[in-house]
Amino acid sequence: MSLNKIEAAQGWRIRSTQDFAGGLFMIALAGLALFLARDLPLGTLRQIGPGMLPKSIAVICAALGALLAFNSLRYKGEKLSGWSWRGVLFVLGAAVIFGLTIRGFEIGPLKVPQLGMLVSGPLVVFIAGLAADDVRIKELAIFAVAMTAACALLFKYALSLPIPLAPWLLGI
Amino acid sequence: MSEMFAHLGLGFGVALTLQNIALCFVGCLVGTLVGVLPGVGPIATIAMLLPITFGLDPVGALIMLAGIYYGAQYGGSTTAILVNIPGEATSVVTTLDGHQMARQGRAGVALGTAALASFFAGCVATVVIAALGAPLTKLALLFGPAEYFSLMVMGLCFAVVLARGSILKAFCMIMLGLLLSTVGTDLETGQERMTFGFPPLSDGIDFAVLAMGVFGFAEVLRNLENPEARDVVRAKIGRLLPGWSDIKQAALPVVRGTGIGAILGILPGNGAVLGPFASYTVEKKIAKDPSRFGKGAIEGVAGPEAANNAGAQTAFIPLLTLGIPPNAVMALMVGAMTIHGIIPGPQVMTKNPDLFWGMIASMWIGNLMLLVINLPLVGLWVKLLQVPYRLMFPAILIFCSIGIYSVNNQPVDVAFTALFGLFGYILIKLGFEPAPMLLGFVLGKLMEEKLRQALIISRGSFMTFIERPISAGLLLVAVAILVIALLPSMSKKREEVFTE
Repeated sequence: MSLNKIEAAQGWRIRSTQDFAGGLFMIALAGLALFLARDLPLGTLRQIGPGMLPKSIAVICAALGALLAFNSLRYKGEKLSGWSWRGVLFVLGAAVIFGLTIRGFEIGPLKVPQLGMLVSGPLVVFIAGLAADDVRIKELAIFAVAMTAACALLFKYALSLPIPLAPWLLGI
Repeated sequence: MSEMFAHLGLGFGVALTLQNIALCFVGCLVGTLVGVLPGVGPIATIAMLLPITFGLDPVGALIMLAGIYYGAQYGGSTTAILVNIPGEATSVVTTLDGHQMARQGRAGVALGTAALASFFAGCVATVVIAALGAPLTKLALLFGPAEYFSLMVMGLCFAVVLARGSILKAFCMIMLGLLLSTVGTDLETGQERMTFGFPPLSDGIDFAVLAMGVFGFAEVLRNLENPEARDVVRAKIGRLLPGWSDIKQAALPVVRGTGIGAILGILPGNGAVLGPFASYTVEKKIAKDPSRFGKGAIEGVAGPEAANNAGAQTAFIPLLTLGIPPNAVMALMVGAMTIHGIIPGPQVMTKNPDLFWGMIASMWIGNLMLLVINLPLVGLWVKLLQVPYRLMFPAILIFCSIGIYSVNNQPVDVAFTALFGLFGYILIKLGFEPAPMLLGFVLGKLMEEKLRQALIISRGSFMTFIERPISAGLLLVAVAILVIALLPSMSKKREEVFTE
């Protein structure tokens, strides 16, 4: 909403899908918080309980969200624009895979050993790189290996952070 | 006065050890390196590089982080001038005249002016911090919980008003940040709050995870969407040192910019962003021929760059003296300090004087180094600007992943960061600026603690916030700026400032 773009309301319709969605998003988050905090006692002002602040802040969030959604009916604003799920999938997916493989994991029958940075590193670079429109596979593969080597030298040796390199192969 | 020099002496004693000089240098260099990359601002840079300070002692770590901070800030100006992409909000103004100068073949002079202006402003700001540090710390020790709470309310109000874009949306972000800060174990009763019964959340949301998700991953997603057309200047950089006539033209704007920036920088709620805008407006107003602005006027680079750097440094004042971060970058510094076991606040100066004054002295040294790093190495930065984004973001990603893993050696943190990356991306798509959220998140825990303390002391009466004069004054200021900002005539002006 921007105040200097105020236009007299000519019938009720959504003038800014972005603000409308933003308002609903705030309300949804507030609802989630209220649901999660439902069992927390409010306490009194003299002795504030654990639920008082989360609940009151959530109520304020919901109110602000409602105001935002309401304003989107009155004032012109931005439209919701295209979402790039390719980026979300590859970039965030790459990070998740790094998290899963660096020390290994077990989900039900699925079991992955500790792969360490020498495997997780190239994986994260390579998978993330696929998100670019102008991706060049060969270049990316070389870059993934080089980047991992540089990071191994920097983090493991120069900064001596305790990060596993390749426990399954080298035992470090 | 003599006390101040004694303190600065102590500071230089700490900062001038071989190790700390090296750390300061590495910080400035790496900060500039990452800051030069378009689309990676100071917040993302610090979040990304936080882990590489883990192995250091607290003084060294903070000196290096401060170096990264103003290095990144400075790098943003380089991109603004050479590529016409502001690395971050504070160098938006520099693109206006700086890039024009570059297109006229005066890129070197623009870069040189920016560097020299920043150095001058940095020197002055360092003295200002040193002079104000002690008295403000004494004042802060008089503050009770009620005053602290009101002060933070005021800071958040400033953050709302000074945020870019819609005030209502900035408000939403602050509140969301506060809400996120309440996740985790309740300090007094030990009850788990909104953790989904998930053990890693019982300590609350990790600051680094939130910052890196929202400012690292989400920024990558944002940048992937808008493949920027990089208008890298192909023309020669030209000579770096401004000529005598340039200096004469730039000198007064630098002095004015420094003053404006230093004062606005202390303001809670990202005053550093306001400085360059204000300086530019002032210079344009008092110029004999305002039409030159936007076409490569050297005053339009010198003033805002000075203001930018002065503000970036005086923003440390509220952090160091009161323990209250005035903007998202300082919020990150709080996170960094806590990781190193230092609780920011007035007691830092008395308990860790070497850390406090060492850091201040290192700022001056850092500014000097930036001069040395930037001017001769400018060719290198230009080369770096030609690294394509398709290689840059996977590199950012592996850095962030390793970094976030190293904070707690918890692989699950990396997945969490990805989740917050998605969250941040949704926020960006919905038109929310995430910086106020980070500020709300960091202040949230402190505010809750102070609120509870104040109410216990006053036996549950909210009147305590109004009855105590300092607290009442702070709240009054908070209300006043909100009212002023919401007045239609002001919001119009505000919009002009931020759209220019």
